[in-house]
Amino acid sequence: MSSFGFGLITAAVLAIATVGFTMQFAVTNVLNLAYGSVMINSAFVTYWVNRHGTSIWISLFAGVFCGAAVSWCLNKFIYTPFQRRNLVPITVVIVSLGVDLVGTFGLQAIVGGSFVTFNMSQGHEFHIVGMILSEVQLIIFAICAVVLISIHWLLKYTRMGKAMRATSANPNLARNSGVKTRYIISMTWIISGALCGLAGTVFAMNSGVFEATSAQLYIVLLLAAMFLGGPGEPYGAMLGALTIGLATEISAAYITADYKQVIAFVVLLGMLAFRPYGLFGSEKTL
Amino acid sequence: MPSSIGFYLTTVLVYGAVDALACLGLNMEFGVAGISNFGFIIFQAAGAYTAAILSMSPSATTNGGFQQYVLGWNLPFPLPWIGAIIVGGLLALPFVFLVGKRLRGDFAAVGLLVSAVLLNLLAKNYIPFLNGSAGISLVPAPLQNFFNPQGLGYQLAYGLFATLLAVLVYYLLRRVTESPYGRSLRAMRDNDIVADSLGKNLRGQRTSILVLGGMIAGLSGAVLVGFISLWAPGAWGYAETIVLFAAVIIGGAGNHKGAVLGALLVPLGFEEITRFLPPFGSPSLVPALEWVAIGLLIILFLWFRPNGVIPEKRRILSSVVGRTPTAPIATGDDSDDPINIGSVDDFNFEGLLKTSNVVNDGRAILTTEGLTKSFNGVTVVSDVSISVEQGRLTGMIGPNGAGKSTTLAMLAGTLPTTSGKIFYEGNDITNVPSYKRAQMGLVRTFQLASEFKKLTVLENLVCAIPKQSGDSFWGSIRGRRYWGTQDKANIERAEEILEGFGLSQYADAYAGSLSGGQRRLVEIMRALLAEPTILLLDEPMAGVHPNLARKIGNHLTKLCESGMTIVMIEHELSIMDEFCDPVIVLAEGKVLAQGTMAELRANSEVVEAYLVG
Amino acid sequence: MSVELSKQGLVLTTTALSAGYDGRAIVSDITVEALPGKVVSVVGPNGSGKSTLLKALVGVVRVLEGHVKIAEQDITNLAPEEIAKLGVGYVPQIDDVFPPLSVKENLEIGGYLLSRHEIPDRIDAVLTFFPRLKGMMSRKAGKLSGGERKMLAMGRVLMLSPSVLVLDEPTANLAPMVATQLLEEFVRGFADHGSTVLLVEQRAKAALRISDWTYVLGGGRVVLQGAPKDLEGNPDFVESFLGGGAAARKPHDD
Repeated sequence: MSSFGFGLITAAVLAIATVGFTMQFAVTNVLNLAYGSVMINSAFVTYWVNRHGTSIWISLFAGVFCGAAVSWCLNKFIYTPFQRRNLVPITVVIVSLGVDLVGTFGLQAIVGGSFVTFNMSQGHEFHIVGMILSEVQLIIFAICAVVLISIHWLLKYTRMGKAMRATSANPNLARNSGVKTRYIISMTWIISGALCGLAGTVFAMNSGVFEATSAQLYIVLLLAAMFLGGPGEPYGAMLGALTIGLATEISAAYITADYKQVIAFVVLLGMLAFRPYGLFGSEKTL
Repeated sequence: MPSSIGFYLTTVLVYGAVDALACLGLNMEFGVAGISNFGFIIFQAAGAYTAAILSMSPSATTNGGFQQYVLGWNLPFPLPWIGAIIVGGLLALPFVFLVGKRLRGDFAAVGLLVSAVLLNLLAKNYIPFLNGSAGISLVPAPLQNFFNPQGLGYQLAYGLFATLLAVLVYYLLRRVTESPYGRSLRAMRDNDIVADSLGKNLRGQRTSILVLGGMIAGLSGAVLVGFISLWAPGAWGYAETIVLFAAVIIGGAGNHKGAVLGALLVPLGFEEITRFLPPFGSPSLVPALEWVAIGLLIILFLWFRPNGVIPEKRRILSSVVGRTPTAPIATGDDSDDPINIGSVDDFNFEGLLKTSNVVNDGRAILTTEGLTKSFNGVTVVSDVSISVEQGRLTGMIGPNGAGKSTTLAMLAGTLPTTSGKIFYEGNDITNVPSYKRAQMGLVRTFQLASEFKKLTVLENLVCAIPKQSGDSFWGSIRGRRYWGTQDKANIERAEEILEGFGLSQYADAYAGSLSGGQRRLVEIMRALLAEPTILLLDEPMAGVHPNLARKIGNHLTKLCESGMTIVMIEHELSIMDEFCDPVIVLAEGKVLAQGTMAELRANSEVVEAYLVG
Repeated sequence: MSVELSKQGLVLTTTALSAGYDGRAIVSDITVEALPGKVVSVVGPNGSGKSTLLKALVGVVRVLEGHVKIAEQDITNLAPEEIAKLGVGYVPQIDDVFPPLSVKENLEIGGYLLSRHEIPDRIDAVLTFFPRLKGMMSRKAGKLSGGERKMLAMGRVLMLSPSVLVLDEPTANLAPMVATQLLEEFVRGFADHGSTVLLVEQRAKAALRISDWTYVLGGGRVVLQGAPKDLEGNPDFVESFLGGGAAARKPHDD
């Protein structure tokens, strides 16, 4: 049962990350493989602010801001110019891998290779229904839940959210309806970037200790969660993340913890082979 | 001291050869065949591990059994290396499902990347298999019972042998790439759907190249592990594949010399530069900066010089030795198109196209029963049953969205049916894949631009000719002596038809640089060279000068008289009038009427619903 | 029709317009005028460039030469969202709705430029015109039938009370009865209330029935124009559709 608890937290963090990732894909049609490096950079920005004496929960905002700003720049200065060039789609993916290298190892060059940790206490332990969770984990869960609900509210009830969904479905028609799609796309990257920054920071919190390359393999979990729900589907992303998050933690209880990510890989490969548009998508969405 | 320089140089030689081998293999997959194998490193790793565990004694007995691994057959050189090659090739097979044509290129690439990470994880954690993260060490060097592996002479010989292997692989790959098979691979890379419609077996080609690349990668791993005597998961994360990709892109994707150059510049170059840098900063700083530099190089090269330092070269085909390459700067503008209309008239299409063996009996050569296609609940084609008579030029007309292109796509096999059956020469071909249909003589053209952009016009044409002895993997290996004569004859045919259409001056131009109307003609020529029994044309005259359209129509008619069957979708009703009989009218996914244009015009239903509202 | 849904129309003109993709002109030298309260239709055989012309007017395709004006304002190559702001409503032939969004949300995007409190009233007005949509408000647009989709596409564009309505083959894939109703009630009605309507149609006869002026395109150029009653009697008109005639006599034939 305790692994269920861990699973929930992992799933919550993964959900935030995946929703951001899938929103970027939905609106730009690009697999942003540099997402992991933006996550870890944001975590380090939080760490830096935290080290200078600010409470971790305030420093968190620095990380969120970093994620938003860097993601916006990524789209504006790299992805959009490359996409305008009309190259084979795989080229942009390779570019994103290059960005990931620069982001992750540039960070490592600056901060070194040693592990760091946030200046925070884990707080009390709570025993809930057989799960043992720390105060911090509960707060993380709460933050994630609030953020996911906000995203849901944004996409379903606000003008901008509907414009985002319209832009990803049919950008030309959106423009003909008066939507400034360039602005909407920018905002999508800022919001999803904020999610990325948040996810990076809470991921680091949940890990306890972290270093520059800690998030390098997170991209696999992200891809598994996204493809399970369907590429470009935010609600699919949430459900996919829940499934993957729980599955990895629960399976860790039965097989060696080192293998827990294997489930994610197998799911991802299975989805790609048999149903690349995900459980919630359909053939035409690709 | 001279000997330490000697050791250093031999080390560079070995690493250079290993990197060159790896880059050659990856370039074959990515640059030539268009397969983005982001998991390439696992094949090299598999080769290294295989060579190691085949050459070592059983794990329990080696050095007190401090390592665990499988096999341990103590095989003498060169068997471990041969084993490495075989395993590298076999490992490619399970991945073929990922690069099948239905999956987007970037998704497939990501799948391969993930596989590499997964396998690395398994190797790292499942200790009994390959000794986990510690890896396998104390791997015996080849022939170490006869020579001293530490000696300079041995190492020099090793280096030279490795280089020899790289050279042999280079020539082998060149042999494959410069053959008709290589042309088909590059066509697949440029436009896989169209290659498929011309009879190229995409899955077969991708499988062959993945296996070939895997074998080369496996060999490179064996060479490396024989030299450095150890191999661990840390040596092959997915980052290592990215380095190889960077090397291929920077050197020049599609060009084998470029691959070698890239290997020397990137993996080798970086390694050697950092060796000589004075140590500065923390121990992790320099490796980190290396990665940053590689990442930056990838981005900069893809922006400024996506073709690399040595770009893929233009192939000049010729039936005559020493022809001067012709490639005027095609401006892509229809206005500078001096089509010599006159020559098309005298041109002997029929003789060129081998229609003499056709049985001319007016039978129902292609029929459908209840053909239906729906997407997501929207029915685009509904219960279409038609019968195409051999030797006739059947037209298909209908308003936009009537389902004409969809029907044609189902006939050709590029789109699967939702229900219904298709019969060709009496055989049920409903589930036959499109490349097989093309090989059976059912050839289609496309509405939108579908030339192979990075192939020359002449290559585009020759590529379509079926039954080329050089158009298979083994055929290409056998070399020019095997397929050369036939190829020359094929090139001659292509040159003739090119002349007939008045486009000879563009023979060596890249097909992507021609104007819209010219590309259309290339497509028609290409379809004709595919030796079709039945030709499915999707708006072939769109964008073509009306006089030329008429000439082409005349020749299509003559072809039908010689026995070819043609189904043609067109909008120009005057063309339907002149050349097509019967004409099938589709509207809203259903067959509305069928007959000659005169009959249809008299059919008030048709006129009302379609022609004039 | 509710008065709320229409605004007084504006004059839409093009002068010597050439437009196309990648610098290559698909239509050349087109001069067209659409006036308030009138239906102007553009007809012609397939491949004559009708769709491209409309796309050039609303900013989806690049104008290479010439001008497009609304009233006296030059809107040549303006961004589509700016053109929408000026009151031009465009219904494309395909991809005319947002499939993953519900019917209600599609309409809401149609009213993107309106202020929040205007939207519910506007939706009500559109629904009185297309009552069948009322029962489907929460259904995803991708799941609608062909006719329902077209209604939704029209409804979406009506949300803005466009002064100029630009329609690309609105009756494509509709059953003849539905098509006739769409053209005669809706399109004609819209013009009768004062708006400007520019219409591309394949069903030329049906278009003529509701038009005040018709342009015939052939090979990317205007080959014929006139009032419907004059065109109907003109043998060239029928010929241009069935191939041959004025439409086939393209400039470089001479």
